[in-house]
Amino acid sequence: MEVLKEKVEEEAATERAEAAERGEKLLRPLDARREEAPMTQEMLRDLEKKLSEIEIVVPEQPLTFTKDSIDISKLPLSYQSNTLKEEHLLQVADNFSRQYSHLCPDRVPLFLHPLNECEVPKFVSTTIRPTLMPYPELYNWDSCAQFVSDFLSMVPLPDPLKPMVQEEEKVPSKKYAIKPPRDLSSRFEQEQEMKKQEEMKGQEEKQRREEEARLLEVEKANIDPLHGLRVHSWVVVLSGKREVPESFFIDPFTARSYSTQDDHFLGIESLWNHKNYWINMQDCWNGCKDLIFDLGDPVRWEYLLLGTDKSHLSLTEEEDDGMNDNDDVENLGKEDEDKSFDMPPSWVEQIEISPEAFETRCPSGKKVIQYKRAKLEKWAPYLNNNGLVCRLTTYEDLECTKTLEIKEWYQNREDMLELKHINKSTGLNIDYFKPGHPQALRAHSYVSMQPEMDRVMEFYETARVDGLVKREETPSSMTEHYRGRSDFLSYRHVDFGPRVKKLALNSAESNPRPVVKITERFSRNPEKPADEDVAERTFLIQEERIQLRYHCRDDHITASKREFLRRTEVDSKGNKIIMTPDMCISFEVEPMEHTKKLLYQYEAMMKLRNEEKLSRHQAWESELEVLEILKLQEEEDDAHTLAISIYDTKRNEKSKEYREAMERVMHEEHLRQVEAQLDYLAPFLAQLPPGNKLTRWQAMCVKEECLSDFKQRLIDKANLIQARFEKETQELQKKQQWYQENQVTLTAEDEDWYLSYCSQAMFRIRILEQRLNRHKEQAPLKYLALEEKLHKDPRLVEFLKVFV
Amino acid sequence: MHRLYNSLEPRVMDEDMLKLAVGEQGPREEAGQLARQEGILFKDVLSLRLDFQNILRIDSLWEFENLTKLQLDNNIIEKIEGLEQLVHLVWLDLSFNNIEAIEGLDTLVNLEDLSLFNNRISKIDSLDALVKLQVLSLGNNQIGNMMNIIYLRRFKDLRTLSLSGNPIAESEDYKMFVCAYLPDLVYLDFHRIDDHMKEMAESKHQYSIDELKHRENLIQSRLEDEQAQQEELEKHKAAFVEHLNGSFLFDSMYTEDVEGNKLAYLPGISELLQAYKDKFVIICLNIFEYGLKQQEKRKLELDTFNECVQEAIQENQEQGKHRIAKFEEKHLLSLNAIRDESELTNFEMKIVEYGKDITELFNVLMTLEMQLVEQLEETINMFERNIIDLVALFIENVQSLMAQCRDLENHHHEKLLEISINTLEKILKGDVDEDLPDDLRPLFVDKDTIFNAVGASHDIHLLKIDNREDELVTRANSWCTHLVDTIHKNEIMRNRRRVKEINQYIDHMQNELDSLECSDVID
Repeated sequence: MEVLKEKVEEEAATERAEAAERGEKLLRPLDARREEAPMTQEMLRDLEKKLSEIEIVVPEQPLTFTKDSIDISKLPLSYQSNTLKEEHLLQVADNFSRQYSHLCPDRVPLFLHPLNECEVPKFVSTTIRPTLMPYPELYNWDSCAQFVSDFLSMVPLPDPLKPMVQEEEKVPSKKYAIKPPRDLSSRFEQEQEMKKQEEMKGQEEKQRREEEARLLEVEKANIDPLHGLRVHSWVVVLSGKREVPESFFIDPFTARSYSTQDDHFLGIESLWNHKNYWINMQDCWNGCKDLIFDLGDPVRWEYLLLGTDKSHLSLTEEEDDGMNDNDDVENLGKEDEDKSFDMPPSWVEQIEISPEAFETRCPSGKKVIQYKRAKLEKWAPYLNNNGLVCRLTTYEDLECTKTLEIKEWYQNREDMLELKHINKSTGLNIDYFKPGHPQALRAHSYVSMQPEMDRVMEFYETARVDGLVKREETPSSMTEHYRGRSDFLSYRHVDFGPRVKKLALNSAESNPRPVVKITERFSRNPEKPADEDVAERTFLIQEERIQLRYHCRDDHITASKREFLRRTEVDSKGNKIIMTPDMCISFEVEPMEHTKKLLYQYEAMMKLRNEEKLSRHQAWESELEVLEILKLQEEEDDAHTLAISIYDTKRNEKSKEYREAMERVMHEEHLRQVEAQLDYLAPFLAQLPPGNKLTRWQAMCVKEECLSDFKQRLIDKANLIQARFEKETQELQKKQQWYQENQVTLTAEDEDWYLSYCSQAMFRIRILEQRLNRHKEQAPLKYLALEEKLHKDPRLVEFLKVFV
Repeated sequence: MHRLYNSLEPRVMDEDMLKLAVGEQGPREEAGQLARQEGILFKDVLSLRLDFQNILRIDSLWEFENLTKLQLDNNIIEKIEGLEQLVHLVWLDLSFNNIEAIEGLDTLVNLEDLSLFNNRISKIDSLDALVKLQVLSLGNNQIGNMMNIIYLRRFKDLRTLSLSGNPIAESEDYKMFVCAYLPDLVYLDFHRIDDHMKEMAESKHQYSIDELKHRENLIQSRLEDEQAQQEELEKHKAAFVEHLNGSFLFDSMYTEDVEGNKLAYLPGISELLQAYKDKFVIICLNIFEYGLKQQEKRKLELDTFNECVQEAIQENQEQGKHRIAKFEEKHLLSLNAIRDESELTNFEMKIVEYGKDITELFNVLMTLEMQLVEQLEETINMFERNIIDLVALFIENVQSLMAQCRDLENHHHEKLLEISINTLEKILKGDVDEDLPDDLRPLFVDKDTIFNAVGASHDIHLLKIDNREDELVTRANSWCTHLVDTIHKNEIMRNRRRVKEINQYIDHMQNELDSLECSDVID
């Protein structure tokens, strides 16, 4: 079942072209490769080789695929039965097949309607269902074919000679036709090549002898009793549409494309796509080389259905072939009753490939391809917890027992390991890293992971503060190359002496090897005069000698040198000797006065001794760094964590957590909002003893209290409005009274004031009146609404129900 | 106590004081011991502190050639002097003295930090030479005029300024003014100038600053113009044809020619003169252009030569370096071998062998050098011939052009003479022309007078032309000889240097060998 599914998926991915092929597969998963017994010799022969390679490789593999692995009952109805049209088609096919075997008794029976997984015969063309997939990789024939080849796992037939199918893919659905690679070879290289070839001629003699010996061996191994008998099915992409310049074959198992002239293909029996079925009537004595893929030519390709799509083919072909009579022949010669018959729609379910399955590619995420003297293993990303995605093992012998070298490709490693190259014969390991290693490691070649052994580490120097490019180690030395440093250091070589045995108290770590010699080279610092710019300095530590060589002046051929010696610290009288002239031997291109001074020399020496300490420290730190890198690598090998893109929502735990947290917060926010709505029962519930469940009586009380409280509030409000109304009225009356009493004595101003007051007061009174009226109207409604709400309140509802 | 004592007695810098200071401030401990042993030369001192010494007069500092830092604060110095030799000085502290005027700093072009804090200075000036000035401390002085600040605009690197304690700092507008006029300033009176302040200052003084800037730009562009002109002239001079791209020569012929100028007023002469001038100028232009072209050619020739010589020398040097490197590799090994050798016969054999190696190296290097000398000699001779030919050709052509000038002059002279005689005849006949200017009349007395006048004019013209020609020829020739001499001299110098270098190196090697021998013999 699983396998079937995978196959289905795979097919979907492959679109039309692949769909054709999948048809074959789907129908009879068992016979990934079918063969017809009485095929033309050539045909068989050509299938042979391709198969021979593959088949020889996998023979031990047991058949993983059995019919009972498919749960037929779950398949859709179309799988289990035929529609009327399909039945009709099968009849047509049968008829066709009978005529064919009558006309061509020597040829193998046609592969027309194999049984599908439900033991129902299905015409091959109907197994193809062109499907568009959402993955851009599948839009080009090459990456699409690569996917299909990864997705398929090969199961050899019980009998390699049995069923045979060719499938034809009319037009590849690839819109990006491949262009021939540009010729980038340079003339210079060609010349070099010529020279090389001349050199090689001598070697060729030798090689030829070896070749002969090997050929003997190969022949012994390579005698294939089934040569020319095997049957294979593959995809042909015909030229014409979508800028496909010329027809070519695609082998579905290797995803490689072959020219139609390729020697491996010995012949073609028949060809089909989702619309029609053609039988090759051409002679395949010369393999497929002479075949003309003009499907509109009924002499060369016998069609089964007088299809609709044939016409445009014939148009293009006509020009090519100059076969003018083919239309007539077609119309006259073929079965007229088929004329109106269309290929029924495919009975296969639409293929769906989940992104996971697409990423996983191979069934169970792993695929092994065996080549001659080599084995290629592929894994889906994240399948191996060390990030291994691909491993290529090459062998010395055909039996694949003696490993020559192993190349392992990794992805998503936190230490950015990209490729591990293990040479078994020399024992040399080379690890390549992408940018992003904590120590900016670029490549690491080593024999042993033990420290203080031969190794070379290369670094991304621009990512390092110290500009280290390369560090080479031997058991007794360490060489470092730098670039782009502000102190112009370009090279440091450290020689170590044998480790001094120390007391057992000290652990091995605290016993670094004694440094015997440090050589440092500096590039020219343009700001200093050449005579003061040190080119190379050597600290001979055990001899207490420091040698300096300066840069050469532009117009000179000799460079200044200086050598400092530290000798006895105490002279004969027991005084400390600070500096004597013989402690500094110098050669100066242009002798200068101040450099002869002991003080100058002393200061220079002191400075150098400090720098010597620094350099030793640097060497020690470098050693530590090596240890750290080795440790890191070891840790990484033991417990590998894989980096996960932040866009990978499935694998990225952090982002998943974050997203979930966000969702949780949103949810809580929503809850809080709901709660935040006014709770008119709260003050009354708060009066009750907390924690206890409400009793019915209490619930009633609460409701009553709430209602009466609300009623009181409404009444209060009405009273308040009423009181204000009355107050305003009284005031107005008072004013009127006052006005009437004093009317005579009033000034014009006072009168104006009075009038404006009156109009304002009247306005207020009117408003109050309106409010009071509205309140009176609405109060009962509000009261009823609250009662309704309380009725429905979840905390009270169960108690109130009983009473209502 | 020290201070008190000193305050009683003003002192002058003398050798003892300087020695003491140098000794005190020199190296310490072991290095100090060495220093005492050897003595310290004043010219090796980089930094000197002479504070609180009651020094009245700066003196005796000329030996400190390489001094970069000098502290003379807290003395009673009244005049800045005696610092002319200290051209490497970067840091100069003259604070807390009695200085009244800034002066004597004109040679200190490297000075970056100058402190004149707490003095009696009233005017900022005489700092023009200090182009690298970054920090200027003029606090606690008597500067009272804001215009002093404008003077500081010329120091493009000035970032820190202190002027507090001056009369100008009391002005309300002081800060704004300084910020506006010195926009690159970062610290004023020990405070960082914030952007807000800067903006305010800028907007406040915008008008006057724009005017100032405009004036500065004008001056700048005038300077640039002058410079460009000067450069152009230099270029022409290098081609020996300066001032020939116009009527300069023609005009100069008439500047000293009194008679000629007078005669120009004769009727018909002005047209004649104009035609003459036009033709003359055309010839001058020809000379000028030809000169520039020839200059280009000479330059190209010289450049090619220099390039080739450089290449040859470079290549030779590479070879030499390679030899030496190879020898040195061997040298280390053989030295070690000799040191390790215990047996006397072997030891001596090795010494001899090593000696031979050294001699061989010497021979090889000297051969290389001699080869180079020969090669260069040949090249130089070839170049010499070519350049001399070039210059000769140039001179020849210029001379022929000059001859044309002279022909023109002769022609003009004849015409002038003719007209003059005609005019004279007319005058003698009484056929006087009314237009004749008064100062011309004395010339037309008799034939001799007019002959002399016209002749004198002609002579002056010819002399001018001859002078110009002579100048050109002499300069071209001397340039040529000088160039060739320099090349020869340089080559000889180069050769001497190289030979010296080789000898020095070989001597050093030999010495090393000898010392090895000696030491072993002693051992």
